[in-house]
Amino acid sequence: MTHPSELISAYLDGELIGDETSKLLSHLATCGRCSADLEELQSVRTAVRSLPVLELPPGLVPEADAFVVPIHRNRGVWVGAAAAAVALIIAIASIVTPPPASISVDDLTSRFGARASLDPAFSPAKVVVPVLGELSE
Amino acid sequence: MKRLASLVVVFTLMPASAAWATELDELLEQSREAAYTAEQIISCSTPDGVRYAIVKIAQSNGEIRMTSTVAGDVQVSSGDGGWTLSRQGGVISSALVDSEMEPVEPLYVVEDTGNTNFLGRDAMVHQLIRDGVLRAELVFDDETGALVAATTFTANGDTYCERRFVSFDSADPGLESNDLHETDELQPSSEFETLLPESVAGFDRLDLYEDEVGFRFAYYSDGFFSFAVFETPTTVDLPDAKTVQFGEGAYQRSFTAGQATYVWETRSGGMALLGDLPPDLHEAVLATLPPSRDPGILRRIWRSLFG
Repeated sequence: MTHPSELISAYLDGELIGDETSKLLSHLATCGRCSADLEELQSVRTAVRSLPVLELPPGLVPEADAFVVPIHRNRGVWVGAAAAAVALIIAIASIVTPPPASISVDDLTSRFGARASLDPAFSPAKVVVPVLGELSE
Repeated sequence: MKRLASLVVVFTLMPASAAWATELDELLEQSREAAYTAEQIISCSTPDGVRYAIVKIAQSNGEIRMTSTVAGDVQVSSGDGGWTLSRQGGVISSALVDSEMEPVEPLYVVEDTGNTNFLGRDAMVHQLIRDGVLRAELVFDDETGALVAATTFTANGDTYCERRFVSFDSADPGLESNDLHETDELQPSSEFETLLPESVAGFDRLDLYEDEVGFRFAYYSDGFFSFAVFETPTTVDLPDAKTVQFGEGAYQRSFTAGQATYVWETRSGGMALLGDLPPDLHEAVLATLPPSRDPGILRRIWRSLFG
């Protein structure tokens, strides 16, 4: 079994059928990556469900009701479309947004070198020459 | 006679390890106090190929300056907790740290293996042996105490890095303390929780540092080899790295003359290891540190959106 991410999601939704549950559980027992994915999905769900429910101020409710347009048909379609749009925005953003600024190895080397210079074993054999001969202009 | 017998008893009861530590510490301290200028060749046979460098060295007053003769005027200034990499007078990176200077329990047996002649000068050869394995051979100049050659070995006896002076002048270059440190001094702290263990494959964690932007690092040593492990909130950029697999984890690796660097991603951010330890110790050290793990699709999206 490869990494069945779609089955993990379905498992959390209680949508697995037949022997899919037992197969997934035996896979989770041996696959650290999928176990971690399951754990992560569970923690996200728990976090979302633990968000407080906010009550509208009393005076706002009648006015808000005045703007409510009853939708009797295709409600599920609209909810699904909205969810898909949000998912699409997140997916596009994750692709087009530049990765977070990474840390330069030179910066890390300088800290290591500074600490090493306090070492009793500090000597020419300890001095770090990080980018010698490879430093670009 | 009675007094002599007492001395013999005291000497016999003195832990052998303390004597070893004293000898190695004294040799290295003497080398650190020497003043000279020299030219050094560094050659390292790494799993990814040979790395070499030629550097000019000046040392006095506990300060070392190394200037590349390969890459023009690149200069490393190091000493007394400061480190600066500069080029054409401009500082590329620098750091200043303070240390608690905790002693390291001695792990190496020092064996004198005789006199030699190095660059026309009298010198003494010492071998460092840990757990019965020859790990380094050091050559010290008799007159100045300077460490003029150092060869380090892997567990199977292969040479890892060789550093040799090819010219030596014992005249004091009169270095002033490095005045390029314009960065804030990092102070050791244990006021935070960390994933970095107290001991890693025979290396002791000597101190921990944390700066204002969330960098954390620990310094490890076994009394001769040393490395630092960094815990960072983001990834570490390692140019021209090779991907290697240890256990189930993937690591980015790069060697320069005398230093190995590994970077990897964890569930909570990035980690990096920099040090001079021989390659045969790398896997055991990495296995003791927080593992390389794919951060997962949700965290990737989160990081790309919010950093």
